Amino acid sequence: MSVLGEMFENLLSRPITILYPKEKVPIPGAFRGRVAITDEKCIGCSKCSLVCPARAITMIDGPREVEFNGKTLTRKKRPQVKLYKCIRCGLCERHCPTGAIFLKNELSSSGTDGEIVVT
Amino acid sequence: MPEVVVSIGPHHPALKEPVNFKVVVDGEKIVRLELDLSYNHRGVEKAAEQRDFIRVLPLMERVCGICSHAHSTAFAKGIEEIMQLEIPPRAQYIRTIIAELERMHSHLLWLGVAAHVIGFNTLFMWTWRDREAIQDTVEEMSGNRVHYGMNEVGGVRRDLTPAQVTAALERLPNLEERIKKYVDMVNKEETMLIRFRGVGKLSKEEALRYGTVGPTARASGVDYDIRKDDPYLAYADVPWNVVTDTNGDVYGRTRVRIGELWESIRIVRYCLENLPEGPIRVTAPRNAPTGEILSRYEAPRGELVHFIRTNGTDKVERVDIRTPTLANWTSVAMCLVNQNLADLPVIVAAIDPCLSCTSRITLLDNQNKKTGVMSLDELIWRNRSRDQGQERP
Repeated sequence: MSVLGEMFENLLSRPITILYPKEKVPIPGAFRGRVAITDEKCIGCSKCSLVCPARAITMIDGPREVEFNGKTLTRKKRPQVKLYKCIRCGLCERHCPTGAIFLKNELSSSGTDGEIVVT
Repeated sequence: MPEVVVSIGPHHPALKEPVNFKVVVDGEKIVRLELDLSYNHRGVEKAAEQRDFIRVLPLMERVCGICSHAHSTAFAKGIEEIMQLEIPPRAQYIRTIIAELERMHSHLLWLGVAAHVIGFNTLFMWTWRDREAIQDTVEEMSGNRVHYGMNEVGGVRRDLTPAQVTAALERLPNLEERIKKYVDMVNKEETMLIRFRGVGKLSKEEALRYGTVGPTARASGVDYDIRKDDPYLAYADVPWNVVTDTNGDVYGRTRVRIGELWESIRIVRYCLENLPEGPIRVTAPRNAPTGEILSRYEAPRGELVHFIRTNGTDKVERVDIRTPTLANWTSVAMCLVNQNLADLPVIVAAIDPCLSCTSRITLLDNQNKKTGVMSLDELIWRNRSRDQGQERP
């Protein structure tokens, strides 16, 4: 009988589902989404590419003058992330000394195209 | 009546994962079960040997989708023990919170699957809806619904903010109410009683003889829980009880799991309310000293064991994973004897099998292009006697 009571209760209450895409699914603040890089902060230390478990990050040529700890450095490399190889574990963000590489709070699509990169 | 072999799997509409059952039946009654598990060998252990301690944890999480925190914690705990690291209490508490939330979502998922197997889809919808509240809490805390990425060697990666703690605490009363309802249902609902009572009976002696673990063992009255017997994380500080049952059948296993849901809520509430202040991690050295460790963890399905051997580098020399499902398979084969064929799905589902995690070894005969099974004698010969020049059995 407990089932019947619950059924009537559910008939009168609003549905648990969300009318997507009319209503958006709320994304929590700590969500690990699409990877992004702030180029002006990157000092080219390669830590992100070393810790990446999916080997999605390669260091490519990107010489630039960067401010770090009040000093101006000349970096040689910058990271390039293969978007669909990224598993969004957040280890690059955790180990980045300057916060240049991070996971945004927005959904990342999935696919098989290995040529799509984030720089 | 002659015996008939009913072959189910490895690919079958009713199976969620690849496994091959050869059920020998005499009329409606099951005489014997022969099974072949290893259809989803992924080479996780070998891949783990090639990654350093930072890169290996995301791989360990992916051994299993449901108990991903269990695998990464068991591994991190073992490495920390070898490195002799003292993990800060706040990190231990955060790990415990995630572990218990994971147990709750796993048990609710199981309850839904068990209900679905007996054709009680209403309960399946309800439990999976309630599971969403837990998934949302985990997502808020860790950033992901499934692979949480909370662990690292030395502590946890993310701290809990006061807002996250409050949001999690606010969700608990509603869950408590729902679990009360399930406790009530499992004892009164005719649909469940008919299909669960007296099905797949396993006595305490049998449970001990076949080495069952987790809720399957506890439902047969075996008081065995790693969280109590060999406390890790914050379980020694938290007041909670081991849930056991004396029924020993699928009904008993359901009661144990629902009881554990209740205990998990208590643990999560205690940990959230008494979260100690302080750092969330210590800096771990890059290399681990040479050593061997057997790291035990009470995963939602039972005792999970990681055997880890290190050799002074930043990688493991060997990691061997024994998942709870593997320990429970023998008991399934035994308690199926003399049961109705129609009860096969529910008895198999009662141990909450996770087949992809269980697949550890695949034998390949490259010359004959065959895969196969190895007997115990042959396994021992391969490990020891072959080097001493003894003949193959």
